[in-house]
Formats: sequence, C-alpha cells, structure tokens
Amino acid sequence: MATVDKTAVTHSEPAQNGRPPRPPRPPRPNYRQIHQFPLPVNVHHVPPVIPHNPLSLISVALSYLTFLISPPCPQEVYTAYFDKATSSIHVTDEKAINALWQMGFFGKGNLSRSEPSWLARERKRRGLHDGKTSEEITRLRRTERRELKLERARMEKLAIEERLKAEAAAREAGASLLVDQATQSAADDTNNSPAAVAERFSLKKAKEARALELRQARELAAQTAAAEQNQPENLPNGKSVRFSPVVQKKEFVSTSPSSLQLPDSVVDAPEVYDFPNEEHLQLSNEEAFFLAYSLGALQVFDGPVKTGETQSQSPTTIPGLLKQFCHHSFQPARDGSASIQPDDPFMISYTVYHHFRSLGWVIRSGVKFGTDYLLYNRGPVFSHAEFAVVVIPSYIHPYWSETEERKNYTAEKQARSWWWLHCVNRVQAQVLKSLVLCYVEVPPPASSIDDIGAVFGQYKVREFLVKRWTPNRTRD
Amino acid sequence: MADADEDVIQTPSATAVPPPEVDLSDETQDFRFLNHLNFFAESSPNIPRRGEKDFEPNPTEHQADVLSASRGAMHNALSYPRLHAPKTRIVAFYAPNGYTPPADRATPKAGGEGANPNPTKPAPKPTRVSPDACVYVPNPKGQFFKSMGQADPTSRVWLLPEEALYLIERGSLDIRWPSPSGSTGSEEDLSIPMSLQAAYACFIGHGGLTLERYSVYTGLKRLGYTLIRAPGWSDDIEPQESDTPDINEPAPRLVGPGLAGIFSSLFKWIHDPYSTASTATGPIIGTGIHRHYMDVYRKLAIIPWYDPVTAPERHPSDTTPPFRVVFHVYKPSTPFKKSAPPPPEFRIAVVSTRDQTTMPTLMQLGSLLESTPLDPPRGEKMDRMMYMRLRHGYRNVIMAVVDQGVVSYLRVADSAFGKEKLFESKAVQGHKRNRNQKSRKR
Repeated sequence: MATVDKTAVTHSEPAQNGRPPRPPRPPRPNYRQIHQFPLPVNVHHVPPVIPHNPLSLISVALSYLTFLISPPCPQEVYTAYFDKATSSIHVTDEKAINALWQMGFFGKGNLSRSEPSWLARERKRRGLHDGKTSEEITRLRRTERRELKLERARMEKLAIEERLKAEAAAREAGASLLVDQATQSAADDTNNSPAAVAERFSLKKAKEARALELRQARELAAQTAAAEQNQPENLPNGKSVRFSPVVQKKEFVSTSPSSLQLPDSVVDAPEVYDFPNEEHLQLSNEEAFFLAYSLGALQVFDGPVKTGETQSQSPTTIPGLLKQFCHHSFQPARDGSASIQPDDPFMISYTVYHHFRSLGWVIRSGVKFGTDYLLYNRGPVFSHAEFAVVVIPSYIHPYWSETEERKNYTAEKQARSWWWLHCVNRVQAQVLKSLVLCYVEVPPPASSIDDIGAVFGQYKVREFLVKRWTPNRTRD
Repeated sequence: MADADEDVIQTPSATAVPPPEVDLSDETQDFRFLNHLNFFAESSPNIPRRGEKDFEPNPTEHQADVLSASRGAMHNALSYPRLHAPKTRIVAFYAPNGYTPPADRATPKAGGEGANPNPTKPAPKPTRVSPDACVYVPNPKGQFFKSMGQADPTSRVWLLPEEALYLIERGSLDIRWPSPSGSTGSEEDLSIPMSLQAAYACFIGHGGLTLERYSVYTGLKRLGYTLIRAPGWSDDIEPQESDTPDINEPAPRLVGPGLAGIFSSLFKWIHDPYSTASTATGPIIGTGIHRHYMDVYRKLAIIPWYDPVTAPERHPSDTTPPFRVVFHVYKPSTPFKKSAPPPPEFRIAVVSTRDQTTMPTLMQLGSLLESTPLDPPRGEKMDRMMYMRLRHGYRNVIMAVVDQGVVSYLRVADSAFGKEKLFESKAVQGHKRNRNQKSRKR
C-alpha cells in the first residue's frame, strides 16, 4: 500500500491547523455501542422474574412463548482457514472479521496494528473517506512529540550561545565581572555583547566559542531546515518498518504520486468501489480454538474456501484442530503422527488463554512487551492493558519426577534465568503494566484426549504478581 | 537515623572552610550541595538535596566552573575528620565459641547494669540468646541496642554476627579479640582490637550468615529498617507435626474449583436445559439459546485455578532453601520492642543468583508464599478497586535477589485472578460505563 502519499496528506494537516490552538479531537466512534457484546455469542435476555409482581411472570411467559413460536436465529458460525506457512488462522469474510473484532476483540488485521483498518486507511488515502484510524493518530502524536523535542534542543542551544557571548563580554570588561553574574544576566541581555570584540581580544577560549557558535548556528539552520523538510520523508521509513511485507507496493505507488495526491481527481473516482480489501483477520491458534471449541462460533477449514464451495469441504473437527495446533506449536511443526503431549506449548498457552477469557478478560498477545499475553478490561479500545502475563509450565505432579530423565527434562522446561525476569519486569514497569507470572501445573500424559474438557480440567493455573520493591519508598 | 559519630564532632578542624551561608532549598549543581552540609551543627544535621545534572558537555566556562566547584565541594566534604569520642565508645568481645553461660564471667561485667533496660528478669534470658551469637557487649549503651542483640542474665548483650559486623562497619563498635590469658578485671587493656577485615573473615559464614544475606541486612538497616532473623534462617529447621496434613494438601486445594465446577454444571441444568453443551468436543457453551453472558462465562469455567484462601499454611520447613523467609522487616516508623516483636511488615527471602541460577519453580515459590500468613486485601479502597486487590494479593513475600552484591527486591504476591470475576462486574455497569466515557473525553 502506498504509504508515501498518505503520510504526505496526513502531515500537511498538523502543519495547517496544529500550530494554533489544537483543534478538538475528532469524536470517537461510539465504542460502547460497537463493542457492546463481550463474546460472539447470541444472547437473548429473559425479563427478570419479580416474585411480588405477577405481571413480570406474564412477561416471562410471553418471552418464552415468542421463543417457541419463532425460535431466534441460531448461533452464527464464522468460517476461517488454517494457513500452514504462518501457522495461524485467516478470516477473510468481511462480516466475520467485523463480528470477531467487535465482539471480544479476536485477532488482528494482518496489515494493521490491531483492528483491521487497512481498508479505511486506503480509502482515506484515495480521498474517499475522512476520519482517522488509530495508526494515523499515533503517527500524528509522534510527529508532534518530535517537533517538541527539536524545539527544546533549539532552546538549549540558544541558551548556551548566549552564555558564551556573555562570557566573552565579561572577559572583555575585565575580571571584575564574575562568571556567575554573567550567567544571571545572560538571560536578559543577549544581543548587547558584540561578538566582534571577542575576536579582537583573541583569547583562545573566546575563539573556540566563536567557532562553535558559528558552527552551531550553521547546524541549527541546517537542522531546522531538515526538520521542516525531512519529516515527510522520515515518516514513510517508520511506516515501512511496520509494514515491511508491502514495500514493493509502496514503491509502485510512489512512482505516480501526483495523481493520487489529488483527492478529487477524476482518475480516482471510478476506483472507489472496485479495489479489493487486501487485508484479512489473523487469529492466533488459541483464539481460534477458543472460538471453535468453547463457543462453537468458528469453523476452520484446511485451505481458503470460496463462499460457493463450502459444502464440498468439511471443516476440521475439534479434536483434529487441537492436534493440528499442538503440532504447530513447535518450530518446525511436528508431523501429524506425533501424539499430543500434556506439555505441548499449545496446551499450556490455551489453558491460560481459556482461563482468563472465562473470567471475562480480553486476552491478547503480549509480544509487543515481551510477554505472552496482555489482559484488557473490556477491550483495547476502552483502556490500556493493566496486566502482562508470562506463562511458565510447572511439573508438580509426581509423575514428572519419577525418573532421572524426566527430572532433567522438566528442570530444563521450567528454567528461566533471573536476568530474563528482571528484563521482563523492567519493561513492564516502563509501560505501566503489572507483571503476572502465570504458572500452569502440567498433568501426566492422559490416556486419551477424547474428552477435551476433561484434559484441560487437569491443568491448574496459579498467578503471582511480581513487582519491584523499592525500600526507599516504603519507609513511611 | 542520626549518626552518633557525627554528633560527637565538636571542635572545628583547621582544614575546614567555614561553610557559606546558603539557603539549603536553593538547588545547585552536583556535589556543591555538600558545601551546605554543616558538620558542626549540634542539633540535627541536615542533608541537603541534590542539584540538577547537565547531560552533555558544552564549551561554556560556566559549566567548567560548576564542575570544578562541585569537585572541590566533594573533596571538602570527604576531608572532614571523623572522630570517635571515648564517651560513646562501645567495646565488645568476640566469643568464637558462641554464647557461654555467664557463671564464670559474672563478676567483671557487673558494671553495666544501669545501662541495660531490663536486667531484672534473669530466668527466661538464657534461652533467648541465640547459639549463633558470637560477640558480647559488657556495657551496652546507645540506641542500637533497642533493636539489636540479646541480653543475658548478667546484662551483657550478645550480638549476632550480622549485627556485630554492621556495627563495626559503621564505626560504632570496637570488637576485641578474646584475651589469651583468660578474663581479668582489665580485660579491655589486654586484648587486641579486631580489624574490619578480620570481622568479615570471622562473621561471614558464621551461623548461616552469607554475604548475600549480609548485603540485604546492612542495606535495609542503613535505610532505617529494623531486621530480625526469621524462623527459616537456618537450613535445617526441624519440621513440625503440622506437615502430616500438608501431605494430603492437593485434595483440599481442589475444593474451590471443584465447587465452581458443580455450580457451573448446576447452572447448566437450571438455565439451559435443552443445551447441547459438551466439554468433550465442544462447544462448551452449547448451541442452545443463551439467556445471559454471565451464564456463558460460568459455563466456560473449566480450568481449575489455585485459591490462596483455602490453601493451608505451611511450616517454613516445607520450603526449599533459598526460597525461605530469612528476615522479618519492620518499617523505621514502627515501634519495635526487642522482647516482643510485632508481626513483621515485610518478609524477605534472600536468593543468590550464583547459587540459584534459575527462577523459582511453582513448587518453590508456592511453598514460600504458603509459609507466610494470609494477608488478604482489606479496606475500603481495596474493595472499590479491583486492580489494587489483584496487585495486593492474598499472600506476599519479598525476594531479595542478590547478583554479585547487587540486590534487586521483588515483591511476589499470590493474586487470585479466579476470585475476581470480571464478567460479573460488567453486569452492574450502567453508570460506571458513563463515567469511563466521560473521563476518556477529557
């Protein structure tokens, strides 16, 4: 996708209206309405029964009656397919993408930061739509921050220059003026001290100062010029890092930027309705298994399916899905004949995923912060994640310490270095999240995995909250 | 904590430059703040705040001047003489064989009775002196003995190795080697003072004191905390009878989730009789008509979780060293009584990263936490704020992870996420949602 033109467009905006009092933020979409359902499950409320109000009984009976007469639409089942190359689940159906994102924040857009917003961004780039996606808002904020920093550096340089001038003047006036006094006055009288006098005295330091002053002035000029010019150029770089798979496309579009930059160009208008959505929703294996096994809201196929030929292919069964995910939790994936081990990474990570989902958390990948999961209350659009979860297997069951070989195996699996813990802990402190160590007790290998619920019922989760303790702060 | 040695300095030395009259609140750069330190103040010596830093060099003379002034101030501060007045000197004796019954030495030490706060209770005392104590102070005086040492019937105070080392290191104690000729009336004159090096050699490794434990002890002590040894100090503490019920512990631990499981199956029956729910091959929630998200979530609860409230407490002997509480810590503001220490405010386990290279396993960490008493989140604020409850946890312990002398403290809390049903709080969300909405718009 063409990032160059888009950033050029977005950058011109803060230049126009960012400097004067900042315009009010565009109104947010009504997230409360959009994300009112916590899970992609149809729920039909029954009016509450109030014992001392006979009318409520009637209303309950009525609602049951309506259910009987016209049964509400059954659970919506979305379709997706497993992509072996990336070992993830792809959802390409527009309706399913929206439903899974809006009800429970499942998956992420493969061309977006989290919410699939490529289409909106692309439309905006082509001038068909205004409004901001979260990626653009972030970019704006970063631009503003960078400008602030440049401004601060400029002020500091200015202060140093003034001080140098004042010191030169002080030397000229003789030793009577102390430097300290000069520093005080430096802020006030800046332009009084003539720089030429310093040269005549030819003190070594004054010369150095002068040279530096000139150099700094040149640098400053160059930098300010660069700051004005470079930013639009810099931005695509930052962007292309995030969207590296589409570099070629970017180049392609940047060859003909003039036509695309014009929002109401006649050339663009016909394109409005026929460019396809290049983005799909990507579910992690845990998310997909939760949707399929726990909610029954997802069917996973082995390969891409077109809407017409759904009947020809049958979706993977739930036990088959579990097996597939377990095999693909290794790198490279195990072959299909391998049996499921209780400590397969997928079994452990799904246990944790299911545990927190069942408690009502919106749980998403924490790879951005070096953890396994992040826990959101209600969802990422409402608030920042408060907890970052790190998953550690534990082998408490006596089976795992029966033989020396098993002992060594489990010791290796459980080992985490202190440095690793300190690293993770520091990062979480920096991003204001609480670190949760989530230990999962691994049961001995099960005789069969026919009853998936029983298998997962043998795992046990225990959370520890870890925080740096600063003795200086708890002294009172 | 006021430093006794600094109080002692009374006469201005010849090298001292009279400190300039500067307002202490006026912040200056770097070490020049030390110029404001008044060593001659009889009352409380004020420690001024530090100044600001420059982050990169620039060619101004101003910066060079500031730097040199700062260096001068530091040297100035370091060159102040530190004196030990004979009035406050505390002499102690090293007893390499540990505590000896006072019968043979009772007579020469009789002089210190006045200074000892409780010399009139001889009966329980011999039991209180730890076998690890190896230094005794015949004439204890000063504030240190409020929280350190154990008095024996003859009012000598016995110090543990870490206490003795801490005191000698800060110059508050003068330890003497035992005199070769045996005790006489003027023992002090005959014996040789112990050097700091010798003190480290003698005390580190004595009675379970490792360098890591000492780093933690001395670091917190210097910050004003009071530390005492916890029952788990020595590695070979005898297990108590209470560990027999601990063995069948997994059974009661399962009660919480088990109950939840029963409830959830009950709910399945009541709320959704024609459900096709199946945990075997899913969907867990069934394909029937769902009445409420709460029921959906209840059905989803198939993963057992650990409930810290129902878990029984463990004796420290059940824990595996080094994951064992070795220090009980009290805040500086807590009134501390040596004879009856209050319940500790913090419990610290000391871990050396060189001996224990990996993080604790669940077994180790779990038993460490279970050896601490239940400390559930309490108070109005905790009731209101779920995040705070989760962060506080039901039990907590502090791990001091010592890596080659660098101590990192980690507070580990047993936070039961399973006890906070987030989906239930959603049911009563009407006005809360609005509040959130407003705060976001701000």
